[in-house]
Amino acid sequence: MFEFLFKYPSAVFSRGTFVLLSGWPMWVLGAGLLAAAALLAWMVWRPGASQGRGMERRMGGWRAVFVWLMQTAMAALLLFLLWHPALSVATLKPQQNIVAVVVDDSGSMATPDENGSTRKDAAVRILNSSLIKELQGKFQVRLYRMSDHLERIEKLEQVTAQGSATHIGESLKQVVEDANSLPIGAVVLLSDGADNSGGIDLDTISDIRRQRIPVHTIGFGKEKMAHDLEINDVEVPSRALPESRLAATVHLHQRGYAGQKVKINVKEGNKILASQEITLKPDGVEQVEPVLFSAGPAGVKTIQAYVDPLPNEENLRNNSVMQLVSVDDRKPRILYFEGEPRWEFKFLRRAVEDDTTLRLTTDLRTTPDKLYRQILKDQDPNTNLVDGFPTKVQELFDYEGLILGSVDQAYLKPAQQQLIHEFVDRRGGGLLLMGGRDSLADGGYAQSGLNDLLPTVLPDTKKKTYVIDGADVELTAAGRESLITRIEENPDKNVERWKKLPYLMNFQDPGTPKPGATVLANSIPKGGGGNKLPLLIVEPYGRGRTAIFATAGSWRWQMLQPVADMSHEIFYRQLLRWLVSDTPKRVKVSTPHPLISDDSHVKLRTEVRDSTYLPSGDATVEAHILGPDGITETVDMRPEPLEQGVYVADWTTPKAGSYTVEVSAKHGQDDLGSDTLTFRREDGVAENFHVEQNRDLLEKLSSETGGRYYRPDEAGRISKDITYSEAGITVRETRDLWDMPVIFLLIAGLRAAEWTARRKWGVI
Amino acid sequence: MRLRMVFIAVLASFGAWGVLHAQRPFREYEGREYNTSEQDEFPLPADWGQKTEWTRARLRYPAVGTLHGWYDYRGQPVDGGPLNWTIDYPRSDRHLLQGVRRLTRIDTRSVEQIVDLDGDDDVYNWPMMYAVEVGHWNLTDEMADQLREFLLRGGFLMVDDFHGTLEWNVFLRSMNKVFPDRKIVDLDNKDPIFHVIYDLDDRFQVPGWQWSVSGKTYEYDGFDPKWRAIYDDHGRIMVAICHNMDLGDAWEWSDDPRYPEKWASLAYRIAMNYFMYDLTH
Repeated sequence: MFEFLFKYPSAVFSRGTFVLLSGWPMWVLGAGLLAAAALLAWMVWRPGASQGRGMERRMGGWRAVFVWLMQTAMAALLLFLLWHPALSVATLKPQQNIVAVVVDDSGSMATPDENGSTRKDAAVRILNSSLIKELQGKFQVRLYRMSDHLERIEKLEQVTAQGSATHIGESLKQVVEDANSLPIGAVVLLSDGADNSGGIDLDTISDIRRQRIPVHTIGFGKEKMAHDLEINDVEVPSRALPESRLAATVHLHQRGYAGQKVKINVKEGNKILASQEITLKPDGVEQVEPVLFSAGPAGVKTIQAYVDPLPNEENLRNNSVMQLVSVDDRKPRILYFEGEPRWEFKFLRRAVEDDTTLRLTTDLRTTPDKLYRQILKDQDPNTNLVDGFPTKVQELFDYEGLILGSVDQAYLKPAQQQLIHEFVDRRGGGLLLMGGRDSLADGGYAQSGLNDLLPTVLPDTKKKTYVIDGADVELTAAGRESLITRIEENPDKNVERWKKLPYLMNFQDPGTPKPGATVLANSIPKGGGGNKLPLLIVEPYGRGRTAIFATAGSWRWQMLQPVADMSHEIFYRQLLRWLVSDTPKRVKVSTPHPLISDDSHVKLRTEVRDSTYLPSGDATVEAHILGPDGITETVDMRPEPLEQGVYVADWTTPKAGSYTVEVSAKHGQDDLGSDTLTFRREDGVAENFHVEQNRDLLEKLSSETGGRYYRPDEAGRISKDITYSEAGITVRETRDLWDMPVIFLLIAGLRAAEWTARRKWGVI
Repeated sequence: MRLRMVFIAVLASFGAWGVLHAQRPFREYEGREYNTSEQDEFPLPADWGQKTEWTRARLRYPAVGTLHGWYDYRGQPVDGGPLNWTIDYPRSDRHLLQGVRRLTRIDTRSVEQIVDLDGDDDVYNWPMMYAVEVGHWNLTDEMADQLREFLLRGGFLMVDDFHGTLEWNVFLRSMNKVFPDRKIVDLDNKDPIFHVIYDLDDRFQVPGWQWSVSGKTYEYDGFDPKWRAIYDDHGRIMVAICHNMDLGDAWEWSDDPRYPEKWASLAYRIAMNYFMYDLTH
């Protein structure tokens, strides 16, 4: 219809430039328009124009304006046509340009859609039916197949839909590179748009636009599945302590099963670690569900989150995702320095005594001038603590966590307070402050070197903030989600469990949480009129983390509940594990994706610190890589210019499988330490996901590059539209517009409108 | 009618408040040796109402009748009887708690707390429990069950002032109801309980005030002092047993110049160590 009315395809108008070929000055046209308008106005409104036949009344007011407008428009149109309007458009010179036809050869193209026919078959059918022939009639056609790379092919039979991934951006980059030496006038991309590389980056789009190559896309596949559940991603911590409680955060969406209940399972090998029933949200809405499981003993764990196939589900290969968790064989050390003997000290020690991962050393001020030191069994008694609270970096930095009980800040010298600050900020340790009569505001912390570390702004009051009186406990919204406060696995049961905990023996007002802090639980003093005070507050600080547990009365959770109840133990173990699980070693290696799917590239990053945990910028860092089938390689890691103490390396995995990287760092002859990381490459996985046609991506790609998106049934128009391009070898053509059918219709329409109106008003 | 409903509602709310709070307030009881209702005889400390982190509880228990056939001028059994648990109370307790304040950093109340094994939860609010003259105690099965629960949850019991074989057997009769399958063992000198504040390798028998009459440091056939204990599965002392000695009297008479200082000092040191051991294990 468009071409019928406008004589040319829409591509001419979208790519062409409007011109007036008469050569007469524009101001003459403008002047002529004004003159015509004035003349017509005089003719309509001149005195006596409507005399004699009662026309004064019939042609008055807006009717006269309407008639004038119709006549002026006609005059304007005729004047416009006199100036010879046209479109100047670049067209590809026939047979002197190349059209790159790129067919998606990835696994997702093997998805059967309509009538059992695969997308690949549909694409090949369109190409074979007429498109290739029509294109070959005007251009040279180069055939390519695309998956994780681009490859030239001679025949369409070479398209097999077995590619392991879809990297549209990378493939188009290669086309652009070819265009530097070849006259590529356009690209026709036949694909479902299911890109696995995270999209097409702006640089690639800019390169294509610079070359002015339009990319026309033909989209295949259903845009929305009728019945499918897809797990988009599973997030787990990359490292954990043994026997920790971890959360696998499962992101999923579905179509066709809204409101139904399904079970998300988490397993390792054949062993199911956890199962959780959820209710599916509406179609297409991303759902995030945490599933708790135990990390188990030390080792590298391949965790799989999956949902069993649902009835009539169209794609069964996207129901499970794997991730790696490295459970470190690590026993972090915690120093608990307590200023006064009290029951909270006793029961905290008891709560973590059976946790074989945590190693707690306690120092207690038993008398005004005596300290009593205790080290849990199986620990090295040589704790490097000579006397009292540590005064040297090595003494304190050997620990990964620090707990301060009721310790007045005056007891700690300024140098010790600074040491604690560095322990958290530089070393990356965790600091937990307990409530007490010599703690927080009552301990003078507001005026101390520790004030900055606190996750709260202490209250400015002369009244005592530590009160020995009962207080109930309540989880906040953040506390309901946090693993620290997860006594029961089921979140709803956990909330109820917290409500039933015995009241605390005492509480302290810790002040107002700072902006970056998170309150996990509140205390509600009995007889306090329902007022709430923050009880458990956590905050990241520098490389470490700080927390306040504003009470010394949680021991009642142990004494006022049956022996078999483990609430107190679970709470403290989880709190202390949180305190130390992310405390880094001096050498720490990481990779952004421990599990890579259908990709060979891996990035390694190592942070290196010296013995005082300052960044070590001139270390020698090597990564020794061990892979499947005896693959070994040593890679030198280079310093990152803008981040002192950080070393990076890029490596290409030769094949799928598990790889172990041991990174060692040296400074001269001094060994700074080492760290080990495991990652895994899996192939044949990426194409199982996002198999719905990504029409948005294809349309955007086309529109950004000056091309157009077509449905398969519209593919016949490509051969015409493709002619209009500014890439390759082109010639500038002029297309007259004066003889467009729409002009004729406009002229007729204007006259008809005026005549019809006059007849209706009786003024003809 | 309406007034009665209001009255019942008020009573019920007090009851509910009491249940909710579950921690009984301090009160004094009639004692065998001191009449606490006579404030001149034994006045309350000025700060008795101050809330603190810790105090020591004294167990109130039913006792057997007289074991040794002794009665006082009122015809009351000197040993055994319903007030047996009040021996030395409250003077011993108050002196001891002053010692805790002076010798340690424990934030203690100046007065004791009396507790019962009556099935109520209050006993669990006071994890440090002391029982005197347990050579006369007579725990019911229900009391033994609750004491067991108390100890396994993390409570600590110190028993003192019982002498000789007969009283040991009476003690054992009730203690075996609590822990029929746990042994009572002699404390080794190396045990942390003897070193947590003071090093108490050289201990000796601490007699009661009866020494000033009899001239003997022992009573009945309790010739040698026995420091014994019952441990939990983690190797922590739950029950600390001071047999053939009278630490309670030593605390009670520590301010009397007639009572030898060396016994009073050792009694205080043992107590400080025992309390500190409990708070650190």
